[in-house]
Amino acid sequence: MSSTAPAALSGIRVLDFTRLGFGSQATLILGCLGAEVIRVESSRHPDPIRVMPPYVPRPGETSERFGNATMAAKESAVSMDRGAIFFKYNTGGKKSIAVNARDPRGLDILKQLVAVSDVVTESFALGTMDRWGLTYDVMREQRDDVIYVSMSGYGHEGPDASYITMGPTAQALTGLTHLVGLPGREAAGWSFSYLDHVGGYLGAVAVLSALLHRQQTGDGQYVDVAQLEPATALSGPLLLDKLVNGRSSRRPDFPPGNRRLHPAGAPQGAYRTAGKDQWLVISCTTEPHWRGLSAALGAPAWADDARFATIEARVANADELDKHVEAWTSTKDKYDAMTLLQSHGVPAGAVQDSRDRLEHDPQLRAREHFTSWPHREEGAETLPLEGVPFRMSATPPSTGGAIHRGPPCLGEDTEAVLTSLLGMTSEDVAALQGDGVLA
Amino acid sequence: MSALGGLRVVELVDESAEYCGRLLAGLGADVIKVEPADGAPSRHIGPFAGDEDGLERSLHFWHYNVGKRSAVLSDVQLSDVLGTADVVVHTLRADDARARGLDYEVLSATNPRLVVCAVTPFGQDGPWADYLADDLVLMALGGSMAACGYSPLPDRTYDTPPLACYGDQAWQTAATYAAIAVLGALVWRADSDRGQFIDVSAHECSASMTEWHLMNYLCTGKPARRGATAMAVEAADGRQVTALIPDFLGPHIFTNLLAMLEADGVAGPLSDADYADPMYRMHHYNEIGNALARLATKHDADELFRMGQQAGLPWGVIRAADEAVEDRHLVARGHFVELERPDGGGPVTHSGAPFIAHGSPFRFARRSPRLGEHTDDVLAELSR
Repeated sequence: MSSTAPAALSGIRVLDFTRLGFGSQATLILGCLGAEVIRVESSRHPDPIRVMPPYVPRPGETSERFGNATMAAKESAVSMDRGAIFFKYNTGGKKSIAVNARDPRGLDILKQLVAVSDVVTESFALGTMDRWGLTYDVMREQRDDVIYVSMSGYGHEGPDASYITMGPTAQALTGLTHLVGLPGREAAGWSFSYLDHVGGYLGAVAVLSALLHRQQTGDGQYVDVAQLEPATALSGPLLLDKLVNGRSSRRPDFPPGNRRLHPAGAPQGAYRTAGKDQWLVISCTTEPHWRGLSAALGAPAWADDARFATIEARVANADELDKHVEAWTSTKDKYDAMTLLQSHGVPAGAVQDSRDRLEHDPQLRAREHFTSWPHREEGAETLPLEGVPFRMSATPPSTGGAIHRGPPCLGEDTEAVLTSLLGMTSEDVAALQGDGVLA
Repeated sequence: MSALGGLRVVELVDESAEYCGRLLAGLGADVIKVEPADGAPSRHIGPFAGDEDGLERSLHFWHYNVGKRSAVLSDVQLSDVLGTADVVVHTLRADDARARGLDYEVLSATNPRLVVCAVTPFGQDGPWADYLADDLVLMALGGSMAACGYSPLPDRTYDTPPLACYGDQAWQTAATYAAIAVLGALVWRADSDRGQFIDVSAHECSASMTEWHLMNYLCTGKPARRGATAMAVEAADGRQVTALIPDFLGPHIFTNLLAMLEADGVAGPLSDADYADPMYRMHHYNEIGNALARLATKHDADELFRMGQQAGLPWGVIRAADEAVEDRHLVARGHFVELERPDGGGPVTHSGAPFIAHGSPFRFARRSPRLGEHTDDVLAELSR
């Protein structure tokens, strides 16, 4: 990718107080689009994701696995720059400055930075920045057209604004957990924070749309993003089914596992393939899909069974049909079966885990999805990061952002940012670092 | 004033990317959904009002098309409308776009400020570019599915498959990224006066939404095994509550949990001083689960959820999707909005703004459109 290409958000500066997953995902996107994202951090109150295991293993080490147990164990004094995985994928392309906002000198520096920033983002619990003295009104005194975007679980307005969420909490409250499961069983839910991604997307939309509004009017604004709200749109037809037809999705036959009701199809679902716990998804929702499947399997006799003659019949007899299909898939490699079915016009895809995506997936490789960016401590040869899932012909986005860097070390950019933006001298900065103000 | 007031978006999409136009409409753009004479295919995706298929009866269509206008246009009319547009969002593969005269080179020649966004299953190129995929296939290839499902049996084998969340989550992620890219392109256009082409790969979008899984594999060398959502406990009324104990947020998490357990007399061994040590807790985590289960039997789910939250814990009741409409907090924020049904059946509540933007409120200016409802208006505007 050409380093001379312009960036969509070139010249836009984001003073970024986000931490943990959801807010950091929003500003990650802004950085990918070329905004200058300056993370404001503190070594006394570090972002938990800087120190949460597992870590990138050092030479000769094997890393612990992620889980509740390891999450409980972050107490030990771990280097802030020790490649903790949650930090890694959330902070490519961002700068980091270390500032103690509770010291008046630190607060004064933050106010000066607001004055030269287009956007201020944060994801603290309600009231945190107000207690420092950095309210929206104070920010506007520094810069009248500032765009201030808060990102929290429940938002800053409303009767339960003091409630907090993590991804799984928000997923529970908005129905996303309930939508993963087999009929007649408890919810299986998600094993990760899908809504940290979704909240981040909409946090980015909030910033981008506020920038467009400012371009037209000259006005900044305050946007209150709540992680819960974007989630309700992810199951909109189910809400309408309840309100229009009186049919709640809390019913014994729902969710229907991997089957889909609209449009219904068969065979449709995950089928075992050769190998240990390996699976292939097939989703036949049309006659051409069904004819392609039959052809790919060599026109087996069972495909002519009257029970499978029409789409309605196949859906009605899906359990029986699945047995025939799985008898075939269970002897096949998942990718071989996928390729064969696709060559016959059948929607099919291997169930890919993280290893498959990194080491097998030819599409992600051809699209150069994974990219590596230099890290001050780890050097140029760092672990790959997930890329930006879209291309822009004139302003190519990049996980390394405009600065072409991986995740920042804590305070890596303190001196450079404060000398260039606020006109401080290196000696001023060093003195305040010594006093614990810039730490 | 809305964020996208005065901007015109032309939407030529199948069901995979309608959510993009929904977002842009809420932000204030004039989104014109161009449909074939017999209607967009998504008009026939259920569920339907009264469970009866019909052009104006698809609840799926209603949800994804609020705020838009609908026009049925000839190729010549479409070309004229595209000449006046700021953005076109389509779901055509490269060859199909070329065949219809909708490739970027052609569109930008007459309208160089046009932002063209193509949302396709695998992107415009690559070895899988011509493969077929629906949302389920994309959830499989992207990695969400391998990460989700019920826990293994004691012998570590699985008797249940990997599971994909219901409701087109991969498509919606791709459509959201499309909106993000369009907005970014519009910000840049204000300075450069140039449009550009955006190529959204739904597969890459799906592969980008698995949070810690990929980096965890890179660090440990092993893909995480799938298992049911952590810390779900069954309350007295039989409903479940996600009851997270995120120790990493600080010592108050365990302190507050313990106070709640002791108040109900169910703390058991957790009152022992040993449990003040997070490393000890880590090695006796099942006792925390046991104590939570004892607490849960004494309270209904909604009560348990609010007790946890009042103690500073990120707890939430596991609701069915339609139950969130009664959430007092979301209602107070004005999140849900009343819009007319396109079938003339009166108003019905829809999911509304994804955030509260005080300077440029997100709102849907109109209900979901009837087929071709705005054709005459759109053509009349052309001749003005």
